[in-house]
Order: sequence, then structure tokens, then C-alpha cells
Amino acid sequence: MSRPSLAVWKFASCDGCQLSLLSAEDELLTLAEEVHIAHFLEATREVAPGPYDVSLVEGSITTPADAERIRHVRSISGTLITIGACATAGGIQALRNLADVEAYTNLVYAHPEYVSTLAESTSIAQHVPVDFELRGCPVEVPQLLEVVSALLAGRKPVTPPHAVCLECKLRGAVCVMVAHGTPCLGPITQAGCGARCPAFNRGCYGCFGPMETPNTASLSDRLHDELGVDDDDLARLLRTFNADAPEFRAEARRRDSIAAAREEATT
Amino acid sequence: MHDIHVIDPVTRIEGHAKITLHLDDGGSIADARFHVTEFRGFEEFCRGRPLDEMPALTARTCGICPVSHLLAGAKATDALCAVRIPPPAVLQRRLANLGQIVQSHVLSFFHLSAPDLLLGMESDPAVRNVFGLMAAEPEIVRRGIRLRQFGQEVIASVAFDKIHGGGIVTGGVAEPFTTAKRDAVVGWLDEVHASALATWDLLWSVTDQFADEIAIFGDFDSLYLSHCLPDGTWEHIDGNLRITGADGQIVVDQFDPADYLELLGESGKTDSYLKAPYYKPYVDGDDPRPGMYRVGPLARINNAERFGTPEADARLALLRERFGRTATSAFLYHHARVLEVIASIERIAALMDDPELLTWPVRADAGVNALRGVGASEAPRGTLFHDYSVDRQGLITGVNLVIATGQNDLAINRTITDIARAYVHGPDDLTDGALNRIEAGVRAYDPCLSCSTHAVGQMPMVVELVAPDGEVIAHRRRD
Repeated sequence: MSRPSLAVWKFASCDGCQLSLLSAEDELLTLAEEVHIAHFLEATREVAPGPYDVSLVEGSITTPADAERIRHVRSISGTLITIGACATAGGIQALRNLADVEAYTNLVYAHPEYVSTLAESTSIAQHVPVDFELRGCPVEVPQLLEVVSALLAGRKPVTPPHAVCLECKLRGAVCVMVAHGTPCLGPITQAGCGARCPAFNRGCYGCFGPMETPNTASLSDRLHDELGVDDDDLARLLRTFNADAPEFRAEARRRDSIAAAREEATT
Repeated sequence: MHDIHVIDPVTRIEGHAKITLHLDDGGSIADARFHVTEFRGFEEFCRGRPLDEMPALTARTCGICPVSHLLAGAKATDALCAVRIPPPAVLQRRLANLGQIVQSHVLSFFHLSAPDLLLGMESDPAVRNVFGLMAAEPEIVRRGIRLRQFGQEVIASVAFDKIHGGGIVTGGVAEPFTTAKRDAVVGWLDEVHASALATWDLLWSVTDQFADEIAIFGDFDSLYLSHCLPDGTWEHIDGNLRITGADGQIVVDQFDPADYLELLGESGKTDSYLKAPYYKPYVDGDDPRPGMYRVGPLARINNAERFGTPEADARLALLRERFGRTATSAFLYHHARVLEVIASIERIAALMDDPELLTWPVRADAGVNALRGVGASEAPRGTLFHDYSVDRQGLITGVNLVIATGQNDLAINRTITDIARAYVHGPDDLTDGALNRIEAGVRAYDPCLSCSTHAVGQMPMVVELVAPDGEVIAHRRRD
């Protein structure tokens, strides 16, 4: 049996997720024996022609050309897996979805008429069917290896569906909200990082995006009512690397409208 | 002005470096331009964010050198709070930056350039990559992988994570260093020091085979900008800036990076999403090229008299004996990188012996005390500036990022112009050999295009040959 072929694709992103593959120092040589790495621009000049058995896609869609390119990638890929917050939720650049993109290009570039860009940064799944989404900013190396080995073995990848809170308890970390009153997105964020920030006394800031069916409204109401976090800060807390994930986006908008209503009431 | 209209949406493929070669009336190469074509918009979408989020937000500019953005961002926010960070935090940040220099340079050398250097520029492209090198020279690749792992673990010991870590924060670092972390780093030192020295031996042994490349690849006079201590010792994060000329003359010394706008202008290039800074005092008029300067490993070793560590200095002396006090060829960036890996490992070893590393407090606490703050550090690829403005509540009102690759842009253009003149003689002459050499010329600078665009590594390229009237008369694309 010939080795399955693997392709790695980059859209608008920082390269951190595909670099995680190169950061799998101990496993990289083994991996290279098990799969034919056929398209991985970060590491190799060789480009085998498609189709590919597996495509890993990093980055979000921000230009008309990329909206075309991802359809091509889908058409030549057997299994398509998106990796990281950019690919699964539009990434940090989705913050521009809230603003006027013309204002951006005018601010940054002397000749904005040469900039061709879409108004929004969107996830891959908003453009083509995706077979599996691996979350994180960046993705965790062990999870990436789990996904690749599951595919090789023909089984479903095992990634945790629960909240960061569970990981916090497992490693015996003190709850930063209960003990220190620090706002934390752990209760609504998908596990995977090992509760890295709460273990160092920082609130979780949601790198892995929303868990399955998160109760975002309940958490944000309690942060507001009990810890005194104001609406603007709550909206900002939800608008980082996964700002365009539907659950985070909806709750941030709800906080915006509560703030707007209060503003109106006072004037 | 057809000849500047090169970011054509029809031909633009994001993730491709685009290069245009401009012909003069006689059909010879008049100019070559390197373009960057991705746009993410950090300068704008950071507006309205609280200042202490900035290190973590701007780290997402780049997954290759996130620590550089974490450090420059943290230093800029230190300036907004007008704090001097505690000494052990200074040491931890220095440690993280040394780890960053090691892992990034090792990635550049082993994963990207070694296949060209060790298998030969003319070898089969199907095996001329890190996986091909694994098959041919597994021990060398294993050494590279281990060296990079060391750098990443040093980073993680301070930043909690290899990529986008949260341990480097406004006012210092999040946690005191521990003896367990120190012992883990110390456990690596003998192996990685020996590996780094062996890497130098390998590079030095093949240097003679690349005499042509050394002569053609970006061997020209330019200014060099980097951090440097007053006594001429190599520096990578703290202190002030030095600029020297090709003759080794010091042009500016101990300049406060906070005042960088007095030194550097940013030319509004029409044809790239990369901003191209220049040295202001040398530019009079619209052409920024007289103000061309280079940053990164080559600039740092040219500006410094010495590394201040024994084995790195011994090899720096060898390089100077062969190529002169100032190394002017861009090809020698490879050598400068390996020297910096050795020096960084020796500096890390010295830090491990410093008892202050293990002390605390590690974080200064303060609110907004200044409305503008600039942070600078030496990223692996060169001097990085983060410039933030805030309102009285500490919310960001303005951001300017000046990245290393942008600062090398004028020099990269000059380099590929020289290479194109040597290897391209008309529309029928855009051969694979010419493309490979143009690519290798760009790669000598190890451009981190994520900081405004795409991956390093194999460089997907679009090369266009443009006639004086703007007509594209030849087009080669390599995916």
C-alpha cells in the first residue's frame, strides 16, 4: 500500500499552526516515514501534483483570489481539515469585520487603491465543506498528531469536547474567578491547552474558541453582575482570536446592544 | 506609469512572493522589485484594545517569531506605564529572546537553506528539501531538530508556550523562574553547544564552493542598523541603536530607539503591502534608495566589535579574516546566523549561572503614565519597533509596527536586481536556474513574510519581465 499523501495549505494567518507540525520534533521523522508530505511550502520545494489524500488548511479567507483558491483546494483533497483559530473562526483578523475595511487600508497604506481585499475575514467552513476542525491559537502539537494518526488509522480523532474548567480541575489549579475575582473565559472555552493561563493565575482568553453548546450569556451576565466587568470590557474579552466564532460573536453583540441601550437611557 | 501597476488582482496569488524585472530600452535589466501581497490589518484592528492585551495580540502577527512581537509589544507597553521592569524580569526576557534567536536561525539554516547548501543548488528539486536531507544526512537533520527543540524549550520556560505564549507581559514576566526550569535548560547545554559548533564547521567547510554566490548575491555597500552596546558588544534586546556604513564607520551611535522616527522614514510604496523604511538623513527627494540600510544578523555582526563569548568570537575572527571587517555579501547572512546561534547558547549558559535569574518580583505594576510608548528589540531577522499611542483609559488609539523584513526591502530589491542582471538576458531567458538564484538571493535575508504575508521555505513565486512601456513580455509562475 502506498503512503497517503498530505498537503499543507496557508491562507491569511501567521504560519504558527503549520509550524506546529515542524515543532513536533520527536515525531517529525516518524511522520515523514508514514505519510508522503506532498505539498508543504514551509518545508519543501517539492510539490507533487494533486489530488491529495489529506489537506491541512491554515488561515482565513480575506481576498477574492483566496475564495477561489480554497474551492480548488477542496476539489483536489480527500479529507480536508482546518487547523487553528484563523481557519476555524476567521482568526484575529476577523476583528476587521466590525469595522470599515477602507478605513484600514487608508490608515496603513499610502496607496490603498492597490489593495484588493474582502470586507470580512471568514472561516474556511463558510466557503467549502470541512471534514474536521482543530481549534486553538495556535493548535497544540499533540492534538495535531492525534488528528493525523487518527486519519492514518481510519478512526475519528479524539479531541476534548468539554470546557477548560475541567482541565483546570484536573491539574489542581485554583479557580482564578472564585479565588481572585479575575474574569475568565474557561467555562465556555473548549479544552485542549491544559488550562495553561489559569494555572498561572491569568484568566482564560479563549484561544480555543467556544466549546460545544456554551452558556455564554450566563457567564457574561455573572461576570457583569458579580465581578463588575462592564459591557465594553466583556465585548472585548470575547473579541480576540475567535471573535467571529458564532457563539462569541453573538454574545459580544448582545453586550454592545445592552451598552447602547444604557447609553440611550442616560441621555 | 504602467510599470508600477503590478499588484494586479487578476495575477495576484496570495501567498506568492511576486517579483517584477523591469527592462530598459536596450533590453537589459533596469530594476527588480520584490512585492508582498497579503493584508491583515493589525495597525487598525488593535485600536480600542486595552494596552496590556497588546503583547498577546501582536504576537499573532507571526507564528515564526511571536516572541519578538511579544517582547517589543511588552516593551512598548512598559513605556506607556513608564515603568522600569524588575531585574529578574529583564533576565527572563533576555533568555526568551536568545531562545527565539536560536530556534528561528536553526529553522532558517537546517530546514530551509541546508538543502541548497549541502545537497547543492543543482540537485533534484524533488529531494532538495528538509525531507530529502533527512534521507541523505539524517544525523545533520537530527542535530537541527534537536537545536530547534532546545530554542523552543528555552522560550517555553519563560513564555509558557513555544508559539504565542502568555508569560511575557506588561511590566515584566508572569512568573518567577524556577530551579527546575534552570536545571532543564542546563541539561541541554553541552549537547547544543557542540551541535552549534559542528554546524559552523559544516558551513565553513562548504563556503569555498559558493564563491560565485558570495560575489553576486547582494554584495554591495549599504548602511547597517541594529542594537549595540556602547563598548561595541553584540546586543539583542536592551539599550540603544547603532548605524554603521560599509566602510565600518559609525554613522550614528547609542540612538534611543524611542526616537526612531527621527532616523527612519517610511516610503509609501505603491506596489507592495510591505512598507519600506529608509535612513532619512541620506534621502533628499522621492528616491529612498540612498537611505538603504540592512538589519538582522549581518547588520548585528557588522555593527558589533565582538559577541563577548569565547567560541563565537573565535569564529567571528575567522570570518573577518576571510571577508574583511564588514561582511557586505548577503550570502554571509547564513554565516552570521550560525555565529549568533553559538553566541546565544553561550549567553544562555551565562544566564543560567546568574543567581538573580531566580529572584522576584518579576512584574512592575502601574497604570497609564504616558500616552505614547515605543518598544524595540532585535528579532532574529532584525530590529523590530512597536509604537503605540493610548488614551487616558489605556485604550489603544494608534499602532505602528516597523518590521525587520520591511527594513530589508530596499536591499532585497537591489540584491535581486544584481542577480537578474547576471542571469537574465531577455524574455527567453527566465530559466529555472535564474529563478532558483533569485529565490536564493531573497532567502539569504530569511524574509519573514508572515509579518505581512506568507510562508518562508519553498518560495512560490511569480516573476514578470516588464518592458519600458509597462507591457509584461514574459511571465513565469512557480507554485
